[in-house]
Amino acid sequence: MIELKNNELTFTFPDVHPDAQLTLTFQRTLRIPDDDDTYALPPGLGTFPLKHVDDFRSKIPPSWNEHGGVMMPMFQAEAMWIDFSSEDIDNRGEYCFIVKIATGKVNAVTGEDWRDSVNRAPQDYLVVPTQPWLDGYCVEKGTIRQFVAMPLGAGYTAEEQVTGEARVGGVQIVVYPMKREVFERRFPVRRWREDLERRHSDEIMYSPAPEAALEETVHMDMGLAPGGKMRQEIYDDPYDLADWDLRHRSRCFVHLANSMTWRAVTGTEPPTKPPTAKEYSDRGLPWFDYYAEVPAVDGGGALGKSLKSVAQVSVEKKDALFSEEQSIVPAVVRGVGPAQRSGGRVREW
Amino acid sequence: MVNGLGEHIRERREALKTTDKAFSLRQVAQRVEVEPSYLSKVERGLEVPSEATVRRIAEELGANPDVLLALAGKVSSDLQQVIRKRPELFAQVIRDLAQLPDHAVLRVVREVRDGTW
Repeated sequence: MIELKNNELTFTFPDVHPDAQLTLTFQRTLRIPDDDDTYALPPGLGTFPLKHVDDFRSKIPPSWNEHGGVMMPMFQAEAMWIDFSSEDIDNRGEYCFIVKIATGKVNAVTGEDWRDSVNRAPQDYLVVPTQPWLDGYCVEKGTIRQFVAMPLGAGYTAEEQVTGEARVGGVQIVVYPMKREVFERRFPVRRWREDLERRHSDEIMYSPAPEAALEETVHMDMGLAPGGKMRQEIYDDPYDLADWDLRHRSRCFVHLANSMTWRAVTGTEPPTKPPTAKEYSDRGLPWFDYYAEVPAVDGGGALGKSLKSVAQVSVEKKDALFSEEQSIVPAVVRGVGPAQRSGGRVREW
Repeated sequence: MVNGLGEHIRERREALKTTDKAFSLRQVAQRVEVEPSYLSKVERGLEVPSEATVRRIAEELGANPDVLLALAGKVSSDLQQVIRKRPELFAQVIRDLAQLPDHAVLRVVREVRDGTW
């Protein structure tokens, strides 16, 4: 089952394990430059607000009622990333989950049209806690294109590029837990010393890259489109497909409302626009690189590689959306690994 | 005046002070923006602070503000607002849940509805 508390989606599976719990938040962030460079991970600037669509049934489109789920506000061309965390259970470790993420029913890992099944070759899902975050569409091994909100129907979204239609929009999430007996076998209870060693690791600091303000549109539905490139790996599933309890799943549709729609439907203000990447970087604030000793999947596939970024589509359409955007060089990139991640939020400053 | 709040705050602050001297009465009072003598009275159950002060104390001590407010005999203003909107319904719900064990109350949660997509 899924609960919404404090802008967090909590997936629980009491029939599998009473403490199996995956928490997912949508993080506000900078939009990285949509140029030829590949950037480090931008920071988290707080969570997006989330609300049950059922609380606003008389004000939302019939399709939102049909899809159920929750909704959140995004400005046009605003970026976001998704944070995953799960709870340590009985001093064994964090419970493991499979997470499938799609936007407009286009799989963010493979770039393929939505399939209900879980597929290993090619892997079309993420494994949590191995995968701490997802910032965009995997377009090739180790590289993603950032999730950027664009109006559905304007030709920018991954959905429109892959399916040729603007019908679904939003974000779709499906979560499956690991089988309890497999979790308990693979993760025996840790002794205190192992726990201490697990928590100990170093943080690496080293030195090594705007946007134009965009007008909001009156489109009711938003979708996600591929933005600038960033270094992020989609980690290979270290377990067997049979380890996952595919009989139990929870799924959630996240509708994206532009700021005007959000105000009209909820009567509340959306968060303010985040700073530009240049403004942020000019202040010397940190960007992030994540290191984990886990192999990465190829991801993307032919469809992923052919996805055009928002800037590329805008040039073709002569929209000149990001005409004033400049490349930047992040002043500080902070290297982080699983140990820092398990200690709490690490993509903050 | 007995409210349980003062004892709870003192125990928690003293526990924190064993590992961090910044949790002395004086320093905590300073961070919570009250006089040390006032915080001392609160801890002895001689004063009941305002909701805003209770919240600052809870934040400072890493305590649950709803628990501290309940110990002070108060209900958080946001909850009061919720109840005032539908008093009959919430009064009924609370009375119905009053006798249930914790695990059963925790099962009464609102799920995110999944539709067709």
